[in-house]
Amino acid sequence: MYGGGNTFEKLQGTDLQQEDPQQLAEFEARIQRGEKIEPSDWMPQLYRKQLIRMIEQHGHSEIIGALPEGTWITRAPGFKRKLSLMAKVQDEVGHAQLLYAAAETLGKPREQMISDLVNGKSKYSNIFNYPAFTWADACTISWLVDAGAIVNQLANSRGSYGPYCRALERICAEESFHLKYGHHAVTYLATGTAKQREMMQAALNRWWGPLMHFFGPPDKMSVHSETLMRWKVKMASNDDMRQQFLDMYVPKIYELGLSIPDPKLKKNEESGKWEYTEPDWDEFKRVINGDGPCNKERLAVRRTAEERGKWVREALKASARKYVAPLA
Amino acid sequence: MSEEFIKSLDPRVSRMQMPADINEQPLQKEELDQLVTYQVFMQKKEGKNFEHAGIVHAPTQELALLYAKEQYSRRFTCSGMAVAETSAVLASPVTDGGLSVYELLEGPAPETDGPAEAYEVFHLMKRGKQHEHAGSVEAATVEEAFLKAKESLTPEKPVLNIWLVRRSDLLTIDEEDKDIWQTLPEKGYRDAVAYKASDRLKEFKEKN
Repeated sequence: MYGGGNTFEKLQGTDLQQEDPQQLAEFEARIQRGEKIEPSDWMPQLYRKQLIRMIEQHGHSEIIGALPEGTWITRAPGFKRKLSLMAKVQDEVGHAQLLYAAAETLGKPREQMISDLVNGKSKYSNIFNYPAFTWADACTISWLVDAGAIVNQLANSRGSYGPYCRALERICAEESFHLKYGHHAVTYLATGTAKQREMMQAALNRWWGPLMHFFGPPDKMSVHSETLMRWKVKMASNDDMRQQFLDMYVPKIYELGLSIPDPKLKKNEESGKWEYTEPDWDEFKRVINGDGPCNKERLAVRRTAEERGKWVREALKASARKYVAPLA
Repeated sequence: MSEEFIKSLDPRVSRMQMPADINEQPLQKEELDQLVTYQVFMQKKEGKNFEHAGIVHAPTQELALLYAKEQYSRRFTCSGMAVAETSAVLASPVTDGGLSVYELLEGPAPETDGPAEAYEVFHLMKRGKQHEHAGSVEAATVEEAFLKAKESLTPEKPVLNIWLVRRSDLLTIDEEDKDIWQTLPEKGYRDAVAYKASDRLKEFKEKN
């Protein structure tokens, strides 16, 4: 799982004027017909740039997202939970590799993406800058953060770029296990002893804010986002995805006898939309720009793995082999 | 002077003793560890065609096969796998609409008297889907291999992209080692169906 709340590059209105009008028209017609774009096709620079950015962020989110959950493998209650969580974390790291490969078909090597992550040049999903205090936090991530990510990923899997769609198809198939596992783990806590319930509720209270941030701030409709929607890069607005998430999961949370720490949360029966307290977007901005509880630790862990693993990569390095970007 | 380390809720992270100022300098990386990419082809069941599954990064072809097994056959069935370095995959242009890429190939193949080699042929039938194994041809040159594929393998529906891979460039699992794919009974915990919470939930709702 774990993409969501993608940030896109700010671009100039003149970006498209440099493109060949005929090629651009053919490209747009292909997307209109519902055909996927493959790596060797002509594509506008803006399309390439935004896709690299989006797929790369998604890949980084998988890697960084595995950290707060991975923390709990050794302390998960019992052999079965350890086995499941280990399998899930392995999947997430595998997803990152699938996504990096899809971004590589657009011309950015994995090496460069890893450097940009470690050096703070590329973003990842903001939610992983928060800590997992207890086992219940790990369960909340497995269930609800993955649930949010699935909403995002299902939308994106209808996008226009072939390699990203192929990666997402594989990823979504694995997510169904994550979601079921997460729900199972949360259910056992929520229907357990008084202490377990209390622990589960406390975790949900901690994660509700970050979950509401997950899909990103409300989109301002701009020429730019219209272009991304027309090209099927961005498939749904942040608000639509947030509404969809609330529609699907609020009833499931209530069903477990848990409460949601937002007194304003209710569905407006007339409009069919959820009403809620606007999440603190200043906090969101502050955390995404580096000042969250775990930003420093997350990047330090990834960087240390890179630095301390260098000798292994050097030992394995095959001489005189030339890197070629993946084909599809 | 005591060096300060990053303190974490995770004892394993604290034990890594990462200097508190570790992120202040940019990571200096030489271009040393950009591993080569390998294309992975997978057979989901006996009797089914091999399909392109994706890629892995690996230092050698043997390791690529090992990584591919981890990455692509962790769940569901798998009965065969083959890997080739990306540079060994010879790709045609990609077409669209109703145009078959074979229509762009003009025969007949020029006469050559070099030794013939076996090529595996993969077809892309729909954009956004995976390449699927269509058959194999024997040819002395790549050009001849494309044309022979046109003569012997052209399906009714348009083929949008062709990949040729020399059989000698593919590494696969030996026939006698095929039992390594018999792993399904051990990986049930990786499937959604192993996690049924409905009875527990029902019981809880009845009590409350």
